[in-house]
Amino acid sequence: MGLGKRDKKSSSTATSPCAHLRAAYHNCFNRWYSEKFVKGQWDKEECISEWQKYRACLSEHLDDKHLSRFLEAEGPVGYVFQEDSGNPVENTAK
Amino acid sequence: MVKGYTQDHIYKHPWERVTSASWRKFADPENKRTLSHILEVDTLNRRLDPDSGRLYTTRALTIHAPGPWFIRKIIGQDICHCVESTVVDAQSKSMQLTTRNVSLQKFIEVEEKIRYDPHPDNPTGWTICRQETSIRIKPLSALASMAEKVEQRCAERFMQNSAKGREVMERICKYLEAESSGMAL
Repeated sequence: MGLGKRDKKSSSTATSPCAHLRAAYHNCFNRWYSEKFVKGQWDKEECISEWQKYRACLSEHLDDKHLSRFLEAEGPVGYVFQEDSGNPVENTAK
Repeated sequence: MVKGYTQDHIYKHPWERVTSASWRKFADPENKRTLSHILEVDTLNRRLDPDSGRLYTTRALTIHAPGPWFIRKIIGQDICHCVESTVVDAQSKSMQLTTRNVSLQKFIEVEEKIRYDPHPDNPTGWTICRQETSIRIKPLSALASMAEKVEQRCAERFMQNSAKGREVMERICKYLEAESSGMAL
């Protein structure tokens, strides 16, 4: 009923329109990861078209600026936390 | 004020399976009930280095804000975004995840680091997981007096959730094990 907290509009639903594309991409990735990547076949990336569709949807619906920053980031984002022990999230805020 | 915790756990499954399970941990609909604090998981960025066999991933986790109701009242929202940054090295077999909150940083900083490595005693069969969590409540005047208590609550919540996380991981590993032995038949 109307008492549920989840009924309220909140940003938790921001990327829900992408749920199908997200599931398609994650399924594809999970398969690639366990059947190829960890078995030594890491020379070629797969799930490219799934990724592009999902990503396009995300960039349309992700309105949280903290998060869209990561979406736009290029390069080795994996190092985003490793570079310093300070507060990297606020480093680029200004 | 910083609180830090370290937990080790041994999975009696090979590294390949455990790290596969880690990617599915929040995404499998079956686990949504157990890990109900996780609302959404989105992959924001991914990069494969085909020469070194390293895979870099940034994901966004949308979770229920930690802490008691009065904190939620003060901060005015009940969800919180975290960013999880992962490096998997397929060549040396290591997986490192670092998760930090990007919302509510004025009030609290939580950092969780998880590492999955093959267990030295049984590198092809077992996996060791080391989890380090640090929680820091910002010394904001409005919260200073209750900060200590809040920190404790947060810590308890985190311990509970990481226990749940391990439970889910074990379940997915079992599932993947069954799946792979089924495929071999």
